[in-house]
Amino acid sequence: MSRLKEILNQGAFAVTAECGPPKGADPEVISKKAELLKGRVDAVNVTDNQTAIVRMSSLAACALLKNQGLDPVLQAVVRDRNRIALQSDILGASALGIRNILCLSGDHQRFGNQPQAVGVFDLDSVQFVQVVRRMRDQGVILGGEALTKAPDLFVGAAANPFGDPFNFRVVRLAKKVAAGAEFIQTQCIYNLERFERWMAMARDKGLTEKAHILGGVTPLKSAGMAKYMKQRVAGMDVPDEVIRRMEGVPAKKQTEEGLKICVETIDRLKDVPGVRGVHIMAIEWEEKVAEIVERAGLLPRPA
Amino acid sequence: MEGNRNMAQSKSKSGKVAGKQGLTLALFYCQNTPESGEGERQSLEQKHGSSLRLFPLPCSGRLDPVHLLRALEEFADAAYVITCPQGACRYFEGNVRARKRLERTRDAIEQIGLERDRLGMVMNTKESPRGLGTIAEEILDTIGRLAPSPVFATRKVAKEKRS
Amino acid sequence: MITAEQKPLDEIRGTIAPYRRILVLGCGSCVAECAAGGEKETGMLASALRMAAKMEGKEALIQEKTLERQCVRDFVILLDDLIHDYDAVLSLGCGAGVQAVADMFPEVPIIPALNTEFLGETRDQGLWVENCLGCGDCMLYHFGGICPLARCSKHLLNGPCGGSVDGKCEINPDVPCGWQLIIDRLEQHHALDRLERIYPPKDWSKKQGGGPRKIIREDQQR
Repeated sequence: MSRLKEILNQGAFAVTAECGPPKGADPEVISKKAELLKGRVDAVNVTDNQTAIVRMSSLAACALLKNQGLDPVLQAVVRDRNRIALQSDILGASALGIRNILCLSGDHQRFGNQPQAVGVFDLDSVQFVQVVRRMRDQGVILGGEALTKAPDLFVGAAANPFGDPFNFRVVRLAKKVAAGAEFIQTQCIYNLERFERWMAMARDKGLTEKAHILGGVTPLKSAGMAKYMKQRVAGMDVPDEVIRRMEGVPAKKQTEEGLKICVETIDRLKDVPGVRGVHIMAIEWEEKVAEIVERAGLLPRPA
Repeated sequence: MEGNRNMAQSKSKSGKVAGKQGLTLALFYCQNTPESGEGERQSLEQKHGSSLRLFPLPCSGRLDPVHLLRALEEFADAAYVITCPQGACRYFEGNVRARKRLERTRDAIEQIGLERDRLGMVMNTKESPRGLGTIAEEILDTIGRLAPSPVFATRKVAKEKRS
Repeated sequence: MITAEQKPLDEIRGTIAPYRRILVLGCGSCVAECAAGGEKETGMLASALRMAAKMEGKEALIQEKTLERQCVRDFVILLDDLIHDYDAVLSLGCGAGVQAVADMFPEVPIIPALNTEFLGETRDQGLWVENCLGCGDCMLYHFGGICPLARCSKHLLNGPCGGSVDGKCEINPDVPCGWQLIIDRLEQHHALDRLERIYPPKDWSKKQGGGPRKIIREDQQR
């Protein structure tokens, strides 16, 4: 059963967080992160070789999280696997009791530690959503051949309200929803005003009635991190005032300021019509998730 | 372009050429260079003998890098091109293109172990453009620093062995 | 056209080192257009190699010739009279040309002087850009004449991805986002709503489904 789906269908404000797998084979790393998140979030996303850096597979890490009683969200990129492998992993994930999937393009292989690898991109993320929905709802793979047992997965996709071109972004969101995405997790938000404009366009197109949109947040650790994200990370919008706010406090206090901004963002998200939850991406800082959720007044989580 | 003249024959007058250690310069020049008519060219060739071989071009932009290489390959210790002043090219961009092609050819010879300075370009001055002879002598002075081309060294050794 | 660039001279010299009589073979077609292997470049390479040989005190016969096209049998066969005067051929053809010569004269070692790169256009003097992947199932009409496979770094059919910023691809600010180009073009044609359609997965079997591809036309045969 997908706890995330239940929470969203109940109309409660959902909380999800991200768990980054290790660059090694130690399952203990996942166990420890699971302990930090259990009871504080409704579902946990496991990233899939994020930034094209080789890490423990998302599928394996999700299975480990499942064993510890969490509700994992399998993040799956189309960069590394062709349609045969992707469909196979869907069946495997479902067999392991994983009930949520997030279908993504994936960062270009050039960014990671295997830049000489071929980038597969056999399917794109939109086609991938369609494929998973058909496997689940019609019990068929691409091409129409029947499965002996259909997988059971709550299907999601990512959206970037801050990428270009701005007006086409909602068309892209519409395509993902039309393809069958049931929930959407967005890129992390620092520019609330721009996000709200994007949400307005999404509402106008009726998309908020068809899919649950969860706003992404990432707590800033320092002014340096804020600047890095502004300048170096594609598709990120970090307004100057956020930078100034981080720079305006002494170095030792910047972490606290970052957490404050994060909690304030979540509070504002609660009031944006059509936003059904928050997705906390505290990369390699999972220990702060509990504090953020608590300060945002989101504890205890519904039963 | 007269690059296909019989390059193997050099017109040596006397063995003595003022302080140039017997180096040969292949000089390509835009026909619009002052004092480069038939008469002036002949007297220059007489004056410098085997040190100087002259090749007129309708425009320096027509210079084909392969001509520079063939010159270095067959007889020249250095090959230069004279272009019209900046902005004064009759065909507008010939001199700009010549510079770019020259740089690429210098890269090429460096890769086989020849000094880049064996190839060069002189852009004539705008205010009072110099004549062919003046520039030629400037260049002969410049290349005086170079050792005789290693392309011919083995040939020279072979010659010495035979004599 | 097919584009290529010359291999570093060091690499070429290393590969031709065992051979004494070398035919440097150019091609007057695509590689001449991209200034990599035409008659001029062939002349320059041959001259440079001869000079290098002289400087090493090596006895070498290095001569050049340029065929109109190295990938067409009728031109390659013209080498029949002279190719056996040489120990090896250094070809400035693209990969197709090199192999066409090698296939016709399998007893003669053939060395590529170029690295063949992409199918593309001469966008401007001195600028060549990739624009076709040879997928075997052209969809250019749908995307306003801009190929999402060749010009999107992830060859998405339902792009752009989240990394498109300021019309640039996430991998490099010098690379335009192919999808931005498509959107702009379709806007120009008042056909942007075409992109609301979900394009299905690409049939890659037309490109690699049957191994090395071939085309046979009986009406063109002798």
